[in-house]
Amino acid sequence: MNPLETRGTSRILLWVLLAAAIVLYGFPFVYLLLTSFKTPLDAIAVPPTVLPETWTIDNYVAALSREGVPAALVNSVVTAVTSTLLSLVLAVPAAYAITRFRTPSGRVFIVAALVTRMVPTIAVGAPLIAVMRTLGLTDTSFGLALAHTTISLPLSIWLMASFFEAVPDELSEAAEVDGCSRLQAMWRVVLPVVSGGLAVTAIFAFLASWNEFLFALLLTSVRAQTTPVVIANFQSQFGLDWGGMTALAAVYSVPVILLTLFLQRHIVAGLTLGAVKG
Amino acid sequence: MKLRTQQPTRRGRRLLVAAATVTVAALALSGCGVGASGEAASESDELTVVVEGGGKAELQPIADLYQEKTGTKVTLVELPYAGLYDRISSELQAGKPSFDIAALDAIWLPAFAPALAPLDDLFTADVQDDLFGGLVSESQVDGTFVGMPVWTNSEILFYRTDLFEDPKNMADFEAKYGYPLAAPTTWEEYRDVAEFFTRDTDGDGTVDLYGTDVKGAVETEWLATVSQAGAEAMVLDAATGDVTVDSPEHQKALDFYVSLLPYAPSGAAQLDWAGAQNLFYQGKLAMMRFWGHAYRQTPDDSPVKDSIGVAPMIAGPGGVAGVPGAWYLSVPASGEHQDAAKDFVAFAYEHNDLAADTSLGLVARKSAFESKAGEPGFENYPALVSTLEAAQSLPRPATPQWQEIVDSVLIPMMQKAVEPGADTAQLLTDAKSQIEAIVE
Repeated sequence: MNPLETRGTSRILLWVLLAAAIVLYGFPFVYLLLTSFKTPLDAIAVPPTVLPETWTIDNYVAALSREGVPAALVNSVVTAVTSTLLSLVLAVPAAYAITRFRTPSGRVFIVAALVTRMVPTIAVGAPLIAVMRTLGLTDTSFGLALAHTTISLPLSIWLMASFFEAVPDELSEAAEVDGCSRLQAMWRVVLPVVSGGLAVTAIFAFLASWNEFLFALLLTSVRAQTTPVVIANFQSQFGLDWGGMTALAAVYSVPVILLTLFLQRHIVAGLTLGAVKG
Repeated sequence: MKLRTQQPTRRGRRLLVAAATVTVAALALSGCGVGASGEAASESDELTVVVEGGGKAELQPIADLYQEKTGTKVTLVELPYAGLYDRISSELQAGKPSFDIAALDAIWLPAFAPALAPLDDLFTADVQDDLFGGLVSESQVDGTFVGMPVWTNSEILFYRTDLFEDPKNMADFEAKYGYPLAAPTTWEEYRDVAEFFTRDTDGDGTVDLYGTDVKGAVETEWLATVSQAGAEAMVLDAATGDVTVDSPEHQKALDFYVSLLPYAPSGAAQLDWAGAQNLFYQGKLAMMRFWGHAYRQTPDDSPVKDSIGVAPMIAGPGGVAGVPGAWYLSVPASGEHQDAAKDFVAFAYEHNDLAADTSLGLVARKSAFESKAGEPGFENYPALVSTLEAAQSLPRPATPQWQEIVDSVLIPMMQKAVEPGADTAQLLTDAKSQIEAIVE
């Protein structure tokens, strides 16, 4: 087989694998989307059908007009944006300091940050409720965003640290020689270089908050309840409203899909940052 | 060589300004939340009740009337069933909960009892007389009343009237079994009817109508069968701690349960409540044993929408029995507004009949059930009442480890029992040792 044929076969194999991966990952979401357009009986058909027998938007109308749903959607956006900003504001200087100064305490800190990811969320449920109550932050989006930041911050620090590692020290040193302070060097020189990494970190932090369920369940009641909790309410002990649940889940997926598409270029750039270090 | 530092461009500055604006707006908005106020009523003219998603509709008319009569606003905080236990548990552990009242599933009462306020003064003789016996005993933990029943449920028998009233079916059934076709009342009749209706209706060589379902992914239906078999202590005797799960009654119940497998769709090990309900609504089952509230939940486009009949739960050697599926209003002992909370609990009992006209239509008082006698849409009430009044309709054991026993022993055992060739005696013996390890 000549090299051209080998390359052609590899390309076909690659496309087959790619198609399989897309089907594997995409089918559940497509099925969710299609179910959201089914009638109640169609949604529970035995055996299940892929395409709706009769297309309807009744599930969307019912789900979006359900009490608490519009407020929950707004709460989700506010909480996720706040948590993402908090994560970035805290993670960027922490990661920068760790990678630039390389002190033993910095190394301990970054490992300790990772260890916090290993504690099951439910284990900190009761203490967190007590802390938030003491601070007067229960059932507030800010309180929930703070809780979500405890989840996303360690990951954000690690991600940003790996992106900063890819930037040569000489760059910030040169900026300091030219009169920048350390913070100015970070802000004016290093951060623009790792903007792709920032986008990746932001989207991970946003998704961590956007999809989080347990803290939202424990820390909110009415005012700050987010959409994952409201979606779960479609399943009660007395029945499961597949149509309503899938319709709201589909609506809730739209912002993250748009965000990912919008930041796609940065994400790809961020993920490959460091691959050509040197 | 001079390194040029990268200055923010005009576009970059605009982005920074936009980011700063979003930050300020997000922080300002996140200080509260946009939903209605409902957290931790700081004044006693506000009460907060945490309730499972499906139960909110049950309490809403009562809460509305309470506000109208007393001026006290009652906020119902709707939480998913799957997370309600964790939420309440975490809040009670943390102390000073954010809610004044909790609607609790019956099986949670023993676990939460130490953190709940006694409600003994609400359980007068009249109150107890108007409640089913199983609910009166279930609402007490160690002799103290800790929850007021707010609605109750039980499995009853659902059957398709279009099949049962078909003249050909009636004649064929009587010819084959020697007695008239009717809603079954005993295990034997149930098995006969299930066998009779399991058939290939369109002649394609495949069975497409089944007499019944067999649920292997839930335990409560088998527990009802255990009581029907005559067991006095279901799974374990909570008072003595003796595990009875391998008793002859439990064995008899499990053997009857799995004897229905030939007349049920395949996949019993994974079939739960929702799955069985779907099969019935699709018209694939002639009968199902199911919770009474489902009578009001048939989808409008179901082929059996206008052909559903209901009857009391079937009887085994020990008589008719269902498992009461009640929910209780309880007041946390560490709550800030205990008197006001108890006042609402008493009010909810007094106006229990308001819950009848909700989407689930479930009530707890006998008089509330009776108030709808003969009214269209409430045909399930007589079946519910006679099942709940049956002497063998016993509550589940009052043990704090019940949920663990269900999740780690009973459901896995049921899933194994409905597999072909299962050794039911061995499964019960194994279950006994597993449960003993949990409760000891």
